[in-house]
Amino acid sequence: MSQNGLRVPANRVERRAILHWTLAALATATVLAGVLAVPYWLWESARPVIGPVLVAVGAVGVLNAAMVPSWRYIVHRWETTAEAVYARTGWYVREWRVAPISRIQTVDTSRGPFEQMLGLATLTVTTASSSGAIKIPGLDVETAIREAERLTEVTQLTPGDQT
Amino acid sequence: MSASPPEAGVQDAIVDGAEPPDATADVPWLRLDAKMIWVDAVRALLSMAPAAIAIVVVGVEPTSGTILPVAVLAVVGVVGAANDAMRWVKTRYRVTDEYVERRTGLLVRKYRSIRRDRIRSVDAQGKFRHRLARLRKVTVGAGQHGVSGGALTLDAVSRTAAEQLRHELLNHAEPAVAGTVAGRTSSTAGAGHVLARLRWSWIAYNIVNVWAYVMAAGLLWGAYWLAVLFGLDPAGWVTGLADWEELGWGWTIAVGLVVVGVIGVAGLAANFVSESWNFRLVRVPTENGTALRTVQGLLRTREVNRDENRLRGVQISEPLLWRWMRMADTTVITTGLSIFSTSSTILPRGPLGVARRVAAAVLDREGDSPFDAALPRHPVAALRRRLLWATLIAAGATGLVAWLARTIGPVPESLWWLAAAVLLPVLLTLAVVSYRALGHAVSGEYVVTRSGVSARATAALRRSAVSGVVLRQSLLQRRLGLMTVTVTTAAGYGRYAVPDADAHSAVQFANEAAQGMLDPFLEAR
Repeated sequence: MSQNGLRVPANRVERRAILHWTLAALATATVLAGVLAVPYWLWESARPVIGPVLVAVGAVGVLNAAMVPSWRYIVHRWETTAEAVYARTGWYVREWRVAPISRIQTVDTSRGPFEQMLGLATLTVTTASSSGAIKIPGLDVETAIREAERLTEVTQLTPGDQT
Repeated sequence: MSASPPEAGVQDAIVDGAEPPDATADVPWLRLDAKMIWVDAVRALLSMAPAAIAIVVVGVEPTSGTILPVAVLAVVGVVGAANDAMRWVKTRYRVTDEYVERRTGLLVRKYRSIRRDRIRSVDAQGKFRHRLARLRKVTVGAGQHGVSGGALTLDAVSRTAAEQLRHELLNHAEPAVAGTVAGRTSSTAGAGHVLARLRWSWIAYNIVNVWAYVMAAGLLWGAYWLAVLFGLDPAGWVTGLADWEELGWGWTIAVGLVVVGVIGVAGLAANFVSESWNFRLVRVPTENGTALRTVQGLLRTREVNRDENRLRGVQISEPLLWRWMRMADTTVITTGLSIFSTSSTILPRGPLGVARRVAAAVLDREGDSPFDAALPRHPVAALRRRLLWATLIAAGATGLVAWLARTIGPVPESLWWLAAAVLLPVLLTLAVVSYRALGHAVSGEYVVTRSGVSARATAALRRSAVSGVVLRQSLLQRRLGLMTVTVTTAAGYGRYAVPDADAHSAVQFANEAAQGMLDPFLEAR
């Protein structure tokens, strides 16, 4: 399946995540379109410029909400082992991230409004690097909390070489 | 240990609060040096001197145009001096066994403390006026992110006190020789192994710069103001120098640019000389290892110490426009020092050869430097991807200009193809430059990455310092057989990327760079 020598991480995210991403995409598109609609409605002279932009935002927003979430569901995978956390995310651009347990500094779970509605959570694992954080969205709340606790435990048992 | 992670711990390394954390310690609080008050007062007076001479001695009639700047200077000077006096009254500091503490404020008391084991640099600066009064401004750095300058500044203490502070805080094994060393530089730079000294030929690398024009603008404005103050007419003088009407616009502008450029270059040269005077990069022994120390400056000396236990690598960056003269900037990759602070720069801008030699010496890899490692060219597909993007961006920008020209109105129709004619070749050239900059290798215990358009940056990072791996591949990259490898680390920029490596060898390279971190996730073959 993968051509580059890396195996696919073991677990998929929850199916509900598709719904979550769809809702989030629609919300973003609505807000953007709303912001553009105000000047469109207020100033008639600006309409020839804002009109096409508004149409484009609407079209991209709908496409984004229709296609990207399922695409993401296919790509998003994650795995934690005794040595490392491994995740694959993205859609058009795929990203594989690995962080060894010995370098982990914090393990967090977070839940946005849509995630709370759907019983989902995001697991975030950070290392000493400002750009090494691994985010695993679309986990079941129970799974996320269990993983976070397990990782914290393992992390404390593993002697780290700190930075 | 992970329970109290070091980088997250940086936040609690610096404590602001209402209570000193070490309230029990029986160490007396110290004041700043009182000399700083009158030093700044004298400076305020001196800055008004030209105006005073002009008006009192030469007897120039004061006008509102000449008085206003003087008045502004006077107000700024008085406020500054008053501020200094207040700071002297308010500030106390002390060094206890565990903390460096500073207390400021009369009514609202503020404490700031840094745990001594978190201290990563102690920087002693002396501006000219400070040097005359034997004062130093001490900045203590604790690897904080987002706090510019340093975690704790003492402005200013006596030179002996500064020496003592540095000695105490950085655990120097060498004897404190403050006060016994004669000469311009404050300290003990003589001890230790000298890795680099200033060469005057480096001046050439530091004067060709766009900043020359900014510098010239400042200098000319100052000169103009001074001349007007003394009742001269510089504008008239310049007008009378040549028959500008006859020269025409083109020549006038050309002459102006050249003259201003020459003034700016002279200014930059003077600036470089005063900043880098007697520059030395020295490896000095400390109690728990070694430190890289730079000492430099004529009127204003600056000394920075970098703990080598925190050194993770070196980066050499070559700015695009000056690639032909092999100009290079050399910085160290360390934890705790912000890459945006000048403290990470260990050499003045200079020739690439020196940068490479010093980098090898700093990494202790002379003769087998990671910077000499062969960096094979990336696959041609990487060039194709760049050319494609360049074309797409040029086309997009041209389309946008054309559309705007049509909808908004009074823009000539020809503008859009002009945009295309200029943009496309420039972007295509940059695409080639960017492709040629790509490179990566594993050299001994170092991983070497090279990329960048406006500045080609080559970084050698210790493999043991790699704290994570990010592999990135878009669908286009996948079709082209490319993959972007990024290693993350706690030091320097935090991430060092190898864009568009060959997809088949990328994972193997990443695994090698990260010392086998990917082993459990490789496909069984």
